[in-house]
Amino acid sequence: MGVPRDKIPWFPTIDYQKCNFCMECDTFCPHRVFEQREGDRKLVVANPNNCVVFCRACSKTCGPEALSFPNKPEIIALIKQLHTPGSGQ
Amino acid sequence: MKRAILSCNGMDKPEGSVAREVAIRFAAATGSEIICPVLLNRAPARYKKSLTESALIVVDGCSTRCASRLAAGLEARVERKDLVTDAVKALGRPLESSLSLGPESIALAQSIADDLLRNLNAPEATREPDTSFEPPTEYLIVAHDKFEFRIPAVDYFFNENDVWVRVLDGVARIGISDYMQQSLTDINFFDPPKAEDAVEQFGELGSVESAKAVFEIVAPASGTVTAVNPAVIANPGLINEDPYGSGWLVELKLTHWSDDLGLLHDGATYAEIVKRKAEEA
Repeated sequence: MGVPRDKIPWFPTIDYQKCNFCMECDTFCPHRVFEQREGDRKLVVANPNNCVVFCRACSKTCGPEALSFPNKPEIIALIKQLHTPGSGQ
Repeated sequence: MKRAILSCNGMDKPEGSVAREVAIRFAAATGSEIICPVLLNRAPARYKKSLTESALIVVDGCSTRCASRLAAGLEARVERKDLVTDAVKALGRPLESSLSLGPESIALAQSIADDLLRNLNAPEATREPDTSFEPPTEYLIVAHDKFEFRIPAVDYFFNENDVWVRVLDGVARIGISDYMQQSLTDINFFDPPKAEDAVEQFGELGSVESAKAVFEIVAPASGTVTAVNPAVIANPGLINEDPYGSGWLVELKLTHWSDDLGLLHDGATYAEIVKRKAEEA
């Protein structure tokens, strides 16, 4: 993106009121964004910066609609604002 | 054309019950055959003949996509798909919580069935491929385990969402990379954007779908949709066979190409991204 990944707040948020811990999202995501844990919250977003910016594929596996992402136009605007040509990854 | 409809069986949540009702209403209005998902799972031979002869309409209740996943395992052509949770979001209020449908849920089912019918009778405009786009001749190869991912060495630019763009005379042709088509495995549905739609860079240009996932096409450039590949609508497997050539998806008339290009990667840089993603998985 030409913007450091940790400056882009794009990653899923789990609504624990809705999540049924079916783990479909964790099974699906090839980038290990999620991790399964012991205790009440059996699933967490452990590696948010592994999430591919603008990818929402995990939320499309979620039957109970428990995963949400930030407002996309706002993130696009932020990236364009932070982007400096030639600044690298 | 004969049609068959496969829906969620509606026993887990109200959205599923609505999907089932959509199937019943659609079948009644069109004379289509209803495919029972439970019987299909248990005794697929029962539907073998009708699935060979019919185009399939698939209605999922929720994003678990049970009906879609069943459909992906069949040799059937999926003509249209619908997802009840999308219709519920558009409605702006939650469904009644019972599996037995109340008047509002029945009205929703009827409106989804009506929309399906309307769309089938007025298919999206498509356009024949522009033959001046020659397929790539030189590839970079990223090898990982037993897989090899091809990336055109020149003329193609990529976003980090595995979508390519190639530009000729102000027209951009867009598709998904070899890495993504292999990750998705057999693609059985392409939900195209509407012709004349304006899209911003990183906006959405429809989606492609396999048994594994629904993959949103993240626009590599901003512009207006001028064409959708009719060959891929008819046979989404072309995306797997020839992702950089005949499996293209959409053409755009570009609006801000020089700005957009600054946020894209050339083949060599995209090859590094593919290498990283393959190692991460």
